[in-house]
Amino acid sequence: MHEEEIIESLCNKFPFLNCRIYLQKEKRIITKPLLREEFEEVIRFAHDELGFYRASHVVGTDDGENLGLLYILSDHENILLALRESVPKTNPVIKSVSDMYLSIILHERELVDLFGVIVEGLPEGPHYPLPDGWPKGSYPMRKEWDPRYFNKDTMTYEGPQEEKQSE
Amino acid sequence: MSEKNNNNIVFPIGPQHPSLDEPSCFNITLEGEKVINAVIGVGYNHRGLEKTCESKTYIQDLYIIERVCGICSHAHSTAFCMAIEELTGVSIPKRAEYIRVIVAELERLHSHLLWLGVACHEIGFDTMFMYTWRNREKVLDILASVGGNRVNYGVNTIGGVRRDLDESINADILKTMDALEEEIKYYADVATTETTLISRLKGIGRLSHEDVIKFGAVGPVARAAGVEDDIRVTEPYGAYKEIPVHIVTDTNADVYGRTVVRIFEMQESINIIRFCINNLPDGPLTVRTPRRVPAGEVIARVEAPRGEDIHYIRSNGTDIPDRVRVRAPTEANWHGVKHMLEGGYLADVPITIAAIDPCYSCTDRATIVKSESGIRDMDWRAMRQYGIDWYKKQGIDLTVFKR
Repeated sequence: MHEEEIIESLCNKFPFLNCRIYLQKEKRIITKPLLREEFEEVIRFAHDELGFYRASHVVGTDDGENLGLLYILSDHENILLALRESVPKTNPVIKSVSDMYLSIILHERELVDLFGVIVEGLPEGPHYPLPDGWPKGSYPMRKEWDPRYFNKDTMTYEGPQEEKQSE
Repeated sequence: MSEKNNNNIVFPIGPQHPSLDEPSCFNITLEGEKVINAVIGVGYNHRGLEKTCESKTYIQDLYIIERVCGICSHAHSTAFCMAIEELTGVSIPKRAEYIRVIVAELERLHSHLLWLGVACHEIGFDTMFMYTWRNREKVLDILASVGGNRVNYGVNTIGGVRRDLDESINADILKTMDALEEEIKYYADVATTETTLISRLKGIGRLSHEDVIKFGAVGPVARAAGVEDDIRVTEPYGAYKEIPVHIVTDTNADVYGRTVVRIFEMQESINIIRFCINNLPDGPLTVRTPRRVPAGEVIARVEAPRGEDIHYIRSNGTDIPDRVRVRAPTEANWHGVKHMLEGGYLADVPITIAAIDPCYSCTDRATIVKSESGIRDMDWRAMRQYGIDWYKKQGIDLTVFKR
């Protein structure tokens, strides 16, 4: 299936994707931010019907008031489909896609540690990649996190404006 | 220390263990000698490089990115440069594209030779370990003559390459490739006919074609299961668009298959290097690129020695990136390791883990020795002599082997 056909299939199935999905270049299809429910429907369809068998990784981004989560999938033609989900920092809850993509577990754990995302349905296991004893509620890949305020000897973070993250 | 859980033993391997060349922790549950569960703990080497990149300029980041991995440093810097060049709309000169490929294939050669040595060491075949590492030195010497260093060559820059290849280096490379080709033929012969090696590796750490799809494995691990997955062919970049590249695959889907794939990939790399040198275009090495990168995002990927290496860059219109995300191939292959280990035997755990070629750190050959008289640098010759003298003090005279 070519890129145009993939976009057409997705737009036919999900009219809300019209004007929110685009071909960036050959083998690169990217969506604009999707709501949680929209994202879950689209990624399941891409996996079950369009042959996007591999989830290469997830890119977490700090978009100000929201957190962006770019899931990068690929198919047998090595076409990359990047689906973007956006959740508010005040309630950063997403649903794990590890039931479809086993390989995504490590990447979703990374979202938990580095961005403070709450991933529902993520199988139990060791956290990744931060060390044991890392201060709770301290998410280093968020823009407001400043390494100058982290004391690695006491493993404490006392930033200028302590952010109280939702658990 | 191992702990008993019902009738099973939970046996921790790592984070520091003689069979691991870098810190990681495998909690292996054993029923007798059989592995019935494996929990993989990684993250001991997390250095916060992506966060660091968000506070440095693109050109400074290039040097950080090159240090993500000591072995496939050129693959990472190539993917990073490609991403920035795409965002700035720059096309690099043809000569630079070819030089990038030559260095990339030299890197693949040294990485595969390193792996072959480590794998042979894991199964007690230390003669082969010594042979392959001896040959790897020849490749590292070329890389040192090209970039001035054995690892982290610093060849790439945004908009092209920093180092040129002159006639004498090209002649050296071709001469070394001829010698190396003979050695690789010998390794291929050993791998396909040596019954001890074959019986030790066949059927170990299986990851079938279906499992590769299920776990999203990449690189030689995927190709050893018959999956034709190689970015140089499926999404050719730079000079690979003009160079004939054949994907090496195997159907054994085990450690043996991964060994065979890597050995024959070395032959393929030699062919590519020869093609590039014989068709090396003339012209400049770089084009000017703006310091400020237009706002946008890009996903660039290259075929590193261990498989698909993906870089995501998001720019905000300044000279500092908004987000850099690196997905190294080992990160994709960890998921399959648990499956490879389960159902196997404890004695096969080291070679099974080694067979995905997890990213090892590598240091420069020059070493700094701290002594009471201060710190001093030691070159290769001095280090060799230091080793000989050290053993002599222990009552072992290595110089007798010369005689």
